[in-house]
Amino acid sequence: MELNWLQDILTKIECVGPFDIRRLPEDETWVVIPFDKVFDFVKFIMEDDSTWHLSTITGQDTGSQIELLYHFWLGHGLTICARLAYENPQIKSITALIPGAAFYEREAAEMLGISFTDLKDESVLLLSDAWVKGWPLRKEKKEKHDD
Amino acid sequence: MSIIKSILRWARKKSLWVLHYNSGGCNGCDIEIVDLLTPRFDVERLGILAEASPRHADVLLCTGPVTAQSRDRLIQIYNQMPAPKWVIAVGSCGCSGGVFTGSYNIHGGIDKAIPVSMYIPGCPCRPEAVIAGILKLSETID
Amino acid sequence: MMTKLKIPIGPHHPLLKEPISFLLTVEGERVLESSMRLGYVHRGIERLCQERTYVQAVHLIERICGICSHVHSTAYSHAVETLLGLEVPLRTHYIRALLCELERIHSHLLWLGVLAKNIGLDTVFMYTWRDREIVLDIMEELSGGRVSHTINIIGGVKIDLDQKMMDMISEKLEELAPKLTIALGLFENEPTVRLRTQGIGVITKEVARRHCVVGPIARASGVDIDVRRDVPRPPYNNLEFNVITHTDGDVWARTLVRIMETRESHRLIQQILSQLPPGDISVKAKRRVSPGEVVSRFEAPRGELFYYIRSDGSDQPARIKIRTPTLPALSTLPEQLRDVNLADAPVILSGVDLCIACADR
Repeated sequence: MELNWLQDILTKIECVGPFDIRRLPEDETWVVIPFDKVFDFVKFIMEDDSTWHLSTITGQDTGSQIELLYHFWLGHGLTICARLAYENPQIKSITALIPGAAFYEREAAEMLGISFTDLKDESVLLLSDAWVKGWPLRKEKKEKHDD
Repeated sequence: MSIIKSILRWARKKSLWVLHYNSGGCNGCDIEIVDLLTPRFDVERLGILAEASPRHADVLLCTGPVTAQSRDRLIQIYNQMPAPKWVIAVGSCGCSGGVFTGSYNIHGGIDKAIPVSMYIPGCPCRPEAVIAGILKLSETID
Repeated sequence: MMTKLKIPIGPHHPLLKEPISFLLTVEGERVLESSMRLGYVHRGIERLCQERTYVQAVHLIERICGICSHVHSTAYSHAVETLLGLEVPLRTHYIRALLCELERIHSHLLWLGVLAKNIGLDTVFMYTWRDREIVLDIMEELSGGRVSHTINIIGGVKIDLDQKMMDMISEKLEELAPKLTIALGLFENEPTVRLRTQGIGVITKEVARRHCVVGPIARASGVDIDVRRDVPRPPYNNLEFNVITHTDGDVWARTLVRIMETRESHRLIQQILSQLPPGDISVKAKRRVSPGEVVSRFEAPRGELFYYIRSDGSDQPARIKIRTPTLPALSTLPEQLRDVNLADAPVILSGVDLCIACADR
């Protein structure tokens, strides 16, 4: 992954340096982006690189905040990290650009309580109809289903 | 009347029709059960037919732990089967929940939802074990 | 004007091996649109893994899916070994790849039988599953289990191959090879099979890319991706194989791609056996993993299998994210089931090679 190419896109979406870019094992580049710039970043990736592929969207609770990771494959791996607050985490959905992201976003929404604006189908993906409340992948105590 | 009863009993013992339902398992036991229909194991020679409808089946071959979403459907299918009926829980997950015990979406083994007549452990269960289980069940029918 | 009906398929249905619920809106004989409900097989594995140690999680990860259990545990073990900074012996990579390819053959044959059953070719179902037993016999000789192998440990594998075993594998696969050729001939040429599968469930290249589809479905639509070639790691960087693609994007193209891939897997196994390097099969691994993150991609029979693991310094994983290849394929189903004949719906559902246990986790 050409660092210059990455830094170019970060400048185009009006991100201010210094950029938090790391290398992870097995040829993966990791970059932190403010959550309100993710949509534009993905748009630029898709315009700049014709071999883009979105592997998945991971949501995780790191103990201090909620992180959303967008894992791309562009001949080399690229992971975009967006950080959200615990109270009312909200981010714009990328399904307008990549319809296939809908399943991943729905799963992150029901497992961590993230709200994706502009996501058309917000119904539950994996949890049961009897699920009462609570988000299974948050660190706090999980609620059980209604027996 | 007793002649008809003994004919019915003979037919039921010698030819149990099974219905296969996966209530949340990993698919390992299920592909071993579907293997029963294939030339190597060929359960049709023992009179065991795989049926599509709960109304035609004598035995419910159930695999997998009972997930929260699957539980009501499992109970509905069991209720649709006409008596006399039997349930065989196939695989460790069906017997007790297996490796998934303690998950937020699992109730446990099959016996948490419906009464089970026979347990066949294994992870996954071998086809020979399933055949032995069904035949053992047929010996207990009177 | 005919009334619109909603027809449910599943969760219990003769054509589905696993519970998933589809609701088809039908007018006369045409399916207008569809919706689906997943979650019947959701066992909460990602959360369960966080409550187990890395070593205990291997057994859990293997039981995500019975058909592709080895590639799941390989991807997981490889990811943890990378986090630990371990360099496993080259022989380990070869043994893992051997079982991956055997699993690919068995999975494709399984799918071929199920597709044949659903298009009315019961005989081919019986023949392919009978031939699949040859592969299961090999796997049982190698590892002791027909379906669940448990050969992976963090740091390597538990089984080793001697010359007798390698000869047995070559011999048994030679038995299988002519049967694959017959199957390919049948699906390429037989007019009734083509009538039932050609032009059905078409996914164009653009739709495949927008839905991030992977595996044989993507390759049948002309998208050239294969993790074995794109992520060069041993032994695939030393082996010669073709990535099979097709342009039609329908169920027929997917069938041809899968059968030809089975033959490529046979070639790969022959190369693995002839190039197997000497050495150990495992190295010792620490129980506690220092903090870090890793992304691991492997090629499962259905496509790109993705693992992301984050460790926080303890002996339990802080987060494991698993994305299985069936999930993006499922997201194309509403497109495929739009304005088609009701009688073609089972073929479309079979053509996607559903592995709901993988998708739901």
